[in-house]
Amino acid sequence: MALFPLTSNFEGDFVLQLVPVDTENTMDEVAAAAAVHSVGRRVRNRPDQILRVRRQGDTDFLPRNMKVSEAGFKPTETVEIIWQAPNA
Amino acid sequence: MALLNRMEWYNLARTTNWTPTYVTEDELFPPSLSGDFDLPLTAWEVYDEPYKQTYPEYVKVQREKDAGAYSVKAALERSRIFENADPGWKSVMKAHYGAIARGEYAAASAEARMMRFSKAPGMRNMSTLGCMDEIRHGQMQLYFPHEHVSKDRQMDWAFKAYDTNEWAMIAARHFFDDIMMTRDAISVSIMLTFSFETGFTNMQFLGLAADAAEAGDHTFANLISSIQTDESRHAQIGGPALKILIANGKKAEAQKRVDIALWGAWKLFSVLTGPIMDYYTPLEHRKQSFKEFMEEWIVAQFERALTDMGLDLPWYWDIFLQELNDTHHGMHLGSYFWRPTVWWNPAAGVTPEERAWLEEKYPGWNETWGECWDVFIDNVVDGNMEKTYPETLPYVCNMCQLPILGVPGKKWNVKDYPLDYNGRLYHFGSEVDRWCFQQDPERYAGHMSIVDRFLAGMIQPMNLEGALKYMNIAPGECGDDAHNYAWAETYRALRETRKAANA
Repeated sequence: MALFPLTSNFEGDFVLQLVPVDTENTMDEVAAAAAVHSVGRRVRNRPDQILRVRRQGDTDFLPRNMKVSEAGFKPTETVEIIWQAPNA
Repeated sequence: MALLNRMEWYNLARTTNWTPTYVTEDELFPPSLSGDFDLPLTAWEVYDEPYKQTYPEYVKVQREKDAGAYSVKAALERSRIFENADPGWKSVMKAHYGAIARGEYAAASAEARMMRFSKAPGMRNMSTLGCMDEIRHGQMQLYFPHEHVSKDRQMDWAFKAYDTNEWAMIAARHFFDDIMMTRDAISVSIMLTFSFETGFTNMQFLGLAADAAEAGDHTFANLISSIQTDESRHAQIGGPALKILIANGKKAEAQKRVDIALWGAWKLFSVLTGPIMDYYTPLEHRKQSFKEFMEEWIVAQFERALTDMGLDLPWYWDIFLQELNDTHHGMHLGSYFWRPTVWWNPAAGVTPEERAWLEEKYPGWNETWGECWDVFIDNVVDGNMEKTYPETLPYVCNMCQLPILGVPGKKWNVKDYPLDYNGRLYHFGSEVDRWCFQQDPERYAGHMSIVDRFLAGMIQPMNLEGALKYMNIAPGECGDDAHNYAWAETYRALRETRKAANA
């Protein structure tokens, strides 16, 4: 367990933000941590959708239960947090 | 005694180069200070300044200018303009003085470098006067706000800002250190006078003077017009130097310096002048939108200045033109949302009438920037004020030191431009910022952005309180909404009307 800084690029928001997470956090937890700083502040909530995490430039999302320590991120690497319909 | 006409003696009197015999030319003009373009003294002696002024002429004109600006201030001191001004306008003054006053004083040192170390005698003459200009600008822009310090602590930032680690000041210092404090005399003439002053101070000083006069602040309007007349003279120092470089096969080096300085100036103006013109200045006093000003002063005039000089448009011109639509809206939303970290009170500028103006000037504003503001406005109307403040840092660019941002909402296009350099991951706000860094990575690589400093544990405690302490923002100096959210009443009333209609 260790604190790990990531940069959040949240769909619909206007700015990159620093988001501290833990190496044991899953991608769902990373998305939730990023959402704290965007949803309800400058981005409207979408209760019928979930949030997925991907590397900038990728089209594929990282598995929802993948841990930060397994993703091979560099400290402060930018991840995109993207809205997705739950059954997509 | 009859005096000779100036032009009968000026050229002879300025021929002040000589052949050194006790020291080498490199000892007299160290290349790192004078500009190492491998050109001998003789190549620089053809430098012909377009604006010739003698010292007695300079003193006479400057004395008149000072008398004009100071007498307007004295006459209007009891007019209570400051007390009665729109709070948005006060924020314009606070942002301007803090960002500019001490920078002008620093510019005197850059002018002094040209004055001592340039190999061009004409440049040494012009920058002697330019140096005195900058001292005057520093002094005036500290003296004029001083009468307001006792009324409003934020006005003290006219003097204080430059010495702090407030994030916008880190950005301003990083830019000015790059283009004027750490460059040789010739590069200063290209980057500070030609790129920054010719291109951009017109924007800040002429555009803002027009807005100030409209807002009834004649003291401020006169002050900055007075300054602009100096700028338009000493901004011409760089032109003849560029001509010499191009004539001697150094166009690529000259072009690179122009391209780097112009981009940095654009980013700084997008955060300083963009919000002022399109959001803080009361709607009824706005002359033109920021984009319209930019198109007139930069796109039309500076474009011509570049091509007349024999230079090309910067390679990123299309990116720049696109950014005119967007970047300053993001800089405004960012400085507003992180408002406790600035020394002025940002005006939101998003009443329905102001939004209609923004939509007219920037088609699509409502479905992009407006979507973020909609959420913000709902929070204010609902009393969810904790959601209107940030709980983390925006990620800032390792070149311009400003937030990395893009268009939100339906046209979301935010993107990071990362770079791995010597094992460190750098982040940039655009392809151009990254390109600037890559032109001389070692020059910039050691600098720590405000986010790097936070991650290195230099900001303690690691929260807003620690950040304010690090930025030297004392209680009573923190920014908050300029109008104390009074503008949100319109939205509250609209919501009540809708509720009643649906009942």
